[in-house]
Amino acid sequence: MGQVELAPGVVQALQDATILFGAPFVSGAVAHVEARLQGRRGPRILQPYYDLAKLFRKETLVPDGAGFVFLAAPVVAFGCYLIVPLLIPVLTTFGLPLGYMGDILGGGFILGLAGFAVALAAAETGAPYAQLGSSRAMTFGALVEPTVLFVVFAVGILTATDLPYALAATVRASASEVVRPAHVLAAVAFFLVVLADTGRIPVETHSGTLELGMIDEARTLEHSGAPFALLKWGSAMKQLVLYTILIDVFVAPWGLAGSRRVGPVLLAIPALIGKALVVGCIFAVVDNSFSKLRLFKITELLAAGFLLAILAVLVFYLGGA
Amino acid sequence: MSAALVALAVFPLAVALVSWRAPVAASKALTVASGTAAFVLSLALVPGAASGHVAAAGSLLRADSLSVVFLVPTTFLYATTAVFAAGYLHDGSSGERRRYGRRFYAGTNLFCWAMAVAPIVNGLALLWVAIEVTTVVSVLLVAIESTDRAAEAAWKYVLLASLGLGLALLATTILYYAGSRVFGPSYDLTYAKLLSPAADRFDPGAVRLAYVLAVLGYGTKMGLVPVHTWLPDAHSEAPTPVSSLLSASLLALSFYAILRYFEVTERSAGTQFARTVLLVFGLASLALAALYLLSQRDLKRLLAYSSVEHMGILAIGMSFGARIAIVGVLLHVLAHAAAKGTAFCGAGSIVRKFKTKDMARIRGGAGLLPVSGPMFVAAVLALSAAPPFGIFRSEFLIVTGGLSDPADAVVAILVVLVTLAFLGLSWAATRTMLTPAPEPHAHAAGGDPSAASVAAAARGDVAAGAVAALSPPAGVGTDLTRGEPSWLIVVAMAAGLLALAVLGVHVPGQLSELLHRAADQIGSAR
Amino acid sequence: MAVSSRAAGLLAAGAIPASPPSLYGGLADVVAVLVLLSAFAMLRAPMVRSQIRLYAFQSLAVVVLSAVVAATHHIGDLYALAGLSFVLKVVVVPAIVLRMLDRAEVDIAGSTAHSTATMTLIGLAVSAAGLFTVGAVHLRSTVLPVAGLAVAVAVVLVSFVLIVLRSDVVSQAVGFFSLENGVSVASLVVASRLPIIFEIAFLFDLLVAVVVFGLVMRVHHGRASTLSTEDLDRLRG
Repeated sequence: MGQVELAPGVVQALQDATILFGAPFVSGAVAHVEARLQGRRGPRILQPYYDLAKLFRKETLVPDGAGFVFLAAPVVAFGCYLIVPLLIPVLTTFGLPLGYMGDILGGGFILGLAGFAVALAAAETGAPYAQLGSSRAMTFGALVEPTVLFVVFAVGILTATDLPYALAATVRASASEVVRPAHVLAAVAFFLVVLADTGRIPVETHSGTLELGMIDEARTLEHSGAPFALLKWGSAMKQLVLYTILIDVFVAPWGLAGSRRVGPVLLAIPALIGKALVVGCIFAVVDNSFSKLRLFKITELLAAGFLLAILAVLVFYLGGA
Repeated sequence: MSAALVALAVFPLAVALVSWRAPVAASKALTVASGTAAFVLSLALVPGAASGHVAAAGSLLRADSLSVVFLVPTTFLYATTAVFAAGYLHDGSSGERRRYGRRFYAGTNLFCWAMAVAPIVNGLALLWVAIEVTTVVSVLLVAIESTDRAAEAAWKYVLLASLGLGLALLATTILYYAGSRVFGPSYDLTYAKLLSPAADRFDPGAVRLAYVLAVLGYGTKMGLVPVHTWLPDAHSEAPTPVSSLLSASLLALSFYAILRYFEVTERSAGTQFARTVLLVFGLASLALAALYLLSQRDLKRLLAYSSVEHMGILAIGMSFGARIAIVGVLLHVLAHAAAKGTAFCGAGSIVRKFKTKDMARIRGGAGLLPVSGPMFVAAVLALSAAPPFGIFRSEFLIVTGGLSDPADAVVAILVVLVTLAFLGLSWAATRTMLTPAPEPHAHAAGGDPSAASVAAAARGDVAAGAVAALSPPAGVGTDLTRGEPSWLIVVAMAAGLLALAVLGVHVPGQLSELLHRAADQIGSAR
Repeated sequence: MAVSSRAAGLLAAGAIPASPPSLYGGLADVVAVLVLLSAFAMLRAPMVRSQIRLYAFQSLAVVVLSAVVAATHHIGDLYALAGLSFVLKVVVVPAIVLRMLDRAEVDIAGSTAHSTATMTLIGLAVSAAGLFTVGAVHLRSTVLPVAGLAVAVAVVLVSFVLIVLRSDVVSQAVGFFSLENGVSVASLVVASRLPIIFEIAFLFDLLVAVVVFGLVMRVHHGRASTLSTEDLDRLRG
């Protein structure tokens, strides 16, 4: 049984399925841990699944004057989040056939498209908080973008390719690659990017209801029913995708399947979820250890990320480290 | 001979420690004795160094020709400044006065000790340590007046000098790295190793980097433009004996450190590179200093900028590279020390007399100071390279060396700028010294010197200058009668002028041998 | 000689950027980069006290670096140096400066003449220049890696920026201390076998420099009742 090779398409479908069905679990588990850290009992770990199931059963309301974009955006975003896992090493150390249709930059673009769609839908509603959220998200997105670019550059010159698989392979090749300054700096910069992109403190209170401090959360305030479920689900998937990139590309690309045999591939799924939980817990700890930054101070955090990324490139390219 | 080295490295330190506790009068005499002894000891080293090198205390101390060329003026200034300070500082029996005196003498002796040790330690690492000690001590000496202006000067000085020495330490490290290619990963940076033929195979890239860092770093202490900005402030705000030591001795020692790097660099990274770097800094220093000399109002700042000018001349002279120019540079070190020391003694005398450093308020100095006034004029003339003094001879040698090279344009610039500096200096000397003295009724109106101004004078020249700045022109409360403030100052100046005349008229045989040998050592890469 | 030529071959291979560094080299470089990052953090730290804490952190990184170097090269002396620097640079010096600040009872906010972004960008530019310079002189070593040296030069330059752009005495003094840390990194990376006596001499010199900085700071504060250097402009010409 363990010796049977799976068809590439099946493995690829499994990649998507892992993200699709694993994401709510990771979100739920992290929320649970976070509650414990704060001394609360917290929701059940499987709560996000129940939430999604409930939302899908609810009625869909559309604000006055909102066009088809409002309803299409959640679907587009969800689609985007399903495409990205095909490009990154989720379960396997090697690229699957569709894995080469986009490089690390391509993955970034698709994530960007998803964010754009959501922002567009928020703008479509005309509701003040939704618009506030989308404009803020776009502003900070513009500041995160250069950091992401420089992280990509750093990866590019470290591996001489722009494929996430190649970097993961380099990191796996020797332990000394992990401690290379350029790599460490790029990884930390990416960590900050993930912090900002998943709406965590010190950037944003992700579980609160304080509209004035909201960024990402505010964008979905006007949605309801199935589209809202898709958005929620999408944002959980986005979080898991970003965690996966952080883990399987930068920090710990171990435990992936080296072949398409059933055993390793199936083992890789809990390995990924387990690692994602560890990373999620780290984020939860960060979340609990800092206070939220004032909105105008967020730029400084992002600037720090930018500094790290640019230093990664400089140190490697000019300093040879 | 090696006993002399050890004695030089021990006695001033001991005197410094003693004068921290001893009564001021005792430290005064002790300092003069120690300075004179140090000078005699360093002269005793001349024959040995002219024919080889002297080592002592394992491999810690080593005096070769180059070391002694710098050691002699340092100890000479130690001696003359000790005499000068004995005449310049006011005695007093108040507790504050005594504390000031103790601090001053302990600091000055420690400062002189570090400066005497710097040229005789063996190796670049120890050299750095010694120069760092000079910085630390001299900063405290600059701040000793604890006025606003002294605090400002001390802050600028400590910050810039520390930065410079940070760079110099980096240079030391990188040079070590360059040498590890030849000597293996663990060795000490002694001169024997750095001057051995193996040094030709140092990593040239690393040596270049180290050299530039060393010129910038030690150049900060030497007063090379653009890293000279602390210099005029510190020189003008320190007590005058300290200014004299800073200006005449410390700057030259930093140049000595640069020369040590120069020696290594021209062997492994090529002479052209080593010279060009010095030429750039030298020209910048000379040009800027010449311009500032023309528009200076403060007497001590004037002398400070003159030091920047002369350090520029030293750097340019080295960049010519001809043997005769190098001999000129080394002679210039000796002559500049004597001339600048004497000029600061004169400035001290003037400041004591007029209670101000502002040259607009100093008139008729030659008349009011019958001996030290004319001597000050002579020292300033010597500084602006008038014959028959030593600086004339040394600059002549430098220019001759420059003309023997195809560097005519630089020589022309050098001569023009030196002339400008001459104008600035002699104009300043003329209008302060050779003008009629202010009317006697000016001070008669002030009556007896008030208790306040005596106290101000007792605190030293800076506080007194501040008081003078507040009082009406012509200095109410100052004692503008004909006479010398102190004959000890005159003795110190006479020693300096004598040395200048000797260097100018005929350099004694063994000294000349020493200079030539040191020049050969530096220029051995050709 | 045979050994060193083999080492040269290995290092020549190490000069190709894409090949992996040794585990030791990588670790040392990471710590060096940490030192650089703390220099950047000092640039943007608005509070005087946080700068001193950053200095303590930076010194700690230097101590770790000496331990790493000592462990890999088996240089026992360096452990002693690491211990000594820990006591002096991580504990004593920050404690002294903090105490002095407590006594001074002045403005706790440092100076911010320029915006954080400007200072960071300038810092980035000069550190790029430093890295480039060290890269451009083509250092080749048969015994020691060079990447750390480039980072150390960058630390020195960023400290310069700190001193130039900040106008309070504490920032400027901390800038000097940080510069000294950069030099320590350089000496650890390229001159780790320099006889220990020099290293200790350097360290004590630093301590003396600290005392002098402290004294001058006190004189300045005593005269001007401020830690700002804005008014230090009486001496001109």
